[in-house]
Amino acid sequence: MKPQHIQHLYRRIGFGVLPTKLEKLSKKSRKQIINEILKTSKKVTPLKINTSEINTIINGIDKKSKLDSETRIKIQKISRKKQIELNVAWINRLSNASELLREKMTLFWANHFVCKDNNILHVQQFNNTLRSHALGDFRSFVKAIAKEAAMIKYLNTKQNKKLKPNENFARELMELFTLGVGQYTENDIKESAKAFTGYNHNLQGEFVFRSQQHYSGEKTCFGKTGNFSGDDVIDIILEQKQCAKYICEKIYRHFVNETINENHLNEMTTVFYKDYNIERLMQFVLMSDWFYDKKNIGTKIKSPIEFIVELKSTVPTKFKKHKQLIRIQKSLGQILLNPPNVAGWKGGKNWIDSNTIMFRVKLPSLLLNDAYISKTKKGENVSEIRAKKELFKKKYGKYYHTETNWNYFNKHFKNISVDHLENYLLACTISDNAKLYLNTLGKVSKQEYCVQLMSLPEYQMC
Amino acid sequence: MDRRKFLKQSSLASSLFFVPSFVKAFEQVASTKLGYKRLVIIQLSGGNDGLNTIIPYRNDIYYKERPKLSIPKQNVLKLNDDIGFHPSLLPLKDLYDNGYLTIINNVGYPNPNRSHFRSMDIWQTGSDSNKYSQSGWIGRYLDFYGKAPYSAIEVDESLSLAMKGETTNALATLNPKALHNLSKDSYFKNISPNQNSIHLNEHNLGYLYKSMIDAKSSAKYVYERSKTVTSKKEYPNNKFGKQLKTTAKFINSHIETKVFYTSLSGFDTHANQLNTQKRLLAIYANGIATFIEDLKENNTFKDTLILTFSEFGRRVKQNASAGTDHGTSNNVFIIGEQLKRQGFYNDMPNLSNLDTNGDLKFEIDFRTIYATVLDKWLEANDKKILDKSFKKLNFI
Repeated sequence: MKPQHIQHLYRRIGFGVLPTKLEKLSKKSRKQIINEILKTSKKVTPLKINTSEINTIINGIDKKSKLDSETRIKIQKISRKKQIELNVAWINRLSNASELLREKMTLFWANHFVCKDNNILHVQQFNNTLRSHALGDFRSFVKAIAKEAAMIKYLNTKQNKKLKPNENFARELMELFTLGVGQYTENDIKESAKAFTGYNHNLQGEFVFRSQQHYSGEKTCFGKTGNFSGDDVIDIILEQKQCAKYICEKIYRHFVNETINENHLNEMTTVFYKDYNIERLMQFVLMSDWFYDKKNIGTKIKSPIEFIVELKSTVPTKFKKHKQLIRIQKSLGQILLNPPNVAGWKGGKNWIDSNTIMFRVKLPSLLLNDAYISKTKKGENVSEIRAKKELFKKKYGKYYHTETNWNYFNKHFKNISVDHLENYLLACTISDNAKLYLNTLGKVSKQEYCVQLMSLPEYQMC
Repeated sequence: MDRRKFLKQSSLASSLFFVPSFVKAFEQVASTKLGYKRLVIIQLSGGNDGLNTIIPYRNDIYYKERPKLSIPKQNVLKLNDDIGFHPSLLPLKDLYDNGYLTIINNVGYPNPNRSHFRSMDIWQTGSDSNKYSQSGWIGRYLDFYGKAPYSAIEVDESLSLAMKGETTNALATLNPKALHNLSKDSYFKNISPNQNSIHLNEHNLGYLYKSMIDAKSSAKYVYERSKTVTSKKEYPNNKFGKQLKTTAKFINSHIETKVFYTSLSGFDTHANQLNTQKRLLAIYANGIATFIEDLKENNTFKDTLILTFSEFGRRVKQNASAGTDHGTSNNVFIIGEQLKRQGFYNDMPNLSNLDTNGDLKFEIDFRTIYATVLDKWLEANDKKILDKSFKKLNFI
């Protein structure tokens, strides 16, 4: 497989590929590489942090009883701290993922089945449900999501009772999770909501079906009438080919190109509609020649998380203060586990505003190089540069408390000459003006040039 | 400095300042009628308890439902025979007496949501409670009327959803100098193409470069303009006070910004409400009072409208932890010199007619306030921005 195509593949299904790995892979065929990617992602490694403090509290309470407000506040307080821990653990997982495709898909689904909660146990469980279904059967995925404690709270399924239906979940199930706006009637929503009455959960986060609150009469949705359960309604929705199309559209926009190609989309929909198998759909996409079309390479704007994780995978950076990593996400406009609302992050150009673009181009130097971007002219004395840098360091100090592992970078880029570095760090060619300017500068060292390249808007592309 | 001299100097100054050509190009397209009317939005995050803010001190139900939480009659700052302010709002009393304050009661929306996230989301996007929008109402105002990122500024670290449009985003800054410093690295200038480069709008990479150039010039503009003004006012020494001080600096330097956004958080008083709310309302009122004095001294108050809201009010009945739980409708404050309806815009909530949760019923849709402000103050097409037609109120 062509190195450039391997890089493209890994930028989309992961967070880039290091030269050492690229060298090994380039001896293999596309089929071999993709089969290996799929094979390693068969495994599911749940993401778990230490939640014993809350487990102890919850296990001490009778399953059926309600929480008193004091305990509830205590749980929320611990949860807030633990959410930071889970956020950081997730980012670290993404930076060192062995089940690469599964992890990238988990990140994708987290912005599809968008949810947020203040109980860490339920948040963690939800996150692992995304992970375990990420490449599985979409049908059981939707059914599992409908029964997740965090989702039952987030979209008020809990308040959806036979005498007082709450349509929130039914509406978003269709509008955002399966069919898309306008692909259903208001009556479909009303009737489907009845099927999800009685959905509830216990403190441990397990699904509980309260049959006395379930409306067991007949419902009519999408032209079918029957005594439907929630699962039945999901089956009926998935019978609509629109559902397969809607999901494929979203996958295409995320993994291939923000502009849909109808032919490619139709091919994907046909594959997906057959059995709603996500892994097979991804295999089809990644095996397709059009996935490697020039217009799909290096033309997407990285999400903040993709940006951070790729940077961390190239030059490993450990945050001594977890809160700083959260703040960085805030400044970039995407805090994991904390989406703006159930519609999720819009992505693409929407990531970019005055603040986020400046922060994006400045962050690599802030994290990796004492805020310094070399502007050393060709032929300038290296010792002068060192002095300049020292001065800079003193002046601006070190804002981020990080541990940066340049040895790792040097090891993996050992065989790459400084002149070829851009081919490994950037997904697109450098624009004319930047190229002109960079040519006037000296390539002082691989490290300095790496920071220079990462400080280009080009580094924001994948 | 007299006004004429000032105008002369400031117009000279503005021609000296760097006005990017793309801004000029934009000016010809956008149909803006600049009267330099400015809107300042203040968000009280967490759900401020409106009933302990504007107090019906002769209402028995109020005292009955809140044996531990009600403000004793003798402590209430009485405005009339029935209603008074929380004692922390003393600085607002002056504004009220001078006709600079309108209080709109019972503001909410149909099918209220009691989740902070969701309700704030509804307020910020201006959507129906069963719809989800990925753009905010000020952001959409910018889509149609914005000239540059600094057309709306959030005085904070990052942008709220309210300030993000479909195609245009506002600028966020707590400290214009820091933003300017971040962007002034000559590396960024040197890699950038000419602003008129035809490639800038073509593709995603062009968009990144364009945004970077916009950001750099906005940061420079905002910083260089605002540093010409020094405030003599002593603001309360807290984050909110600093944010208001920065906002006043922006306004008094006459930067071309139509909307400012800032927030004060901590109002989620489920437990031990009395002390928390007392402290927060004092921060709010003292900050606002200083802010207005500052504007008045610079003759900018007359063109400034301040809107204060919270994502919901709180339950009428107190809870078991000397606090209150999430409620529904709430009061909204409008502050300005050009108010048509001064004092109370409408009646206080009816405490004997609550919904099944024991919460207040809403009377005025918050979007009618947005529509009014957009139409009458910002002279914008509210229907396009709110994607729906709302009736206008007559407070301005």
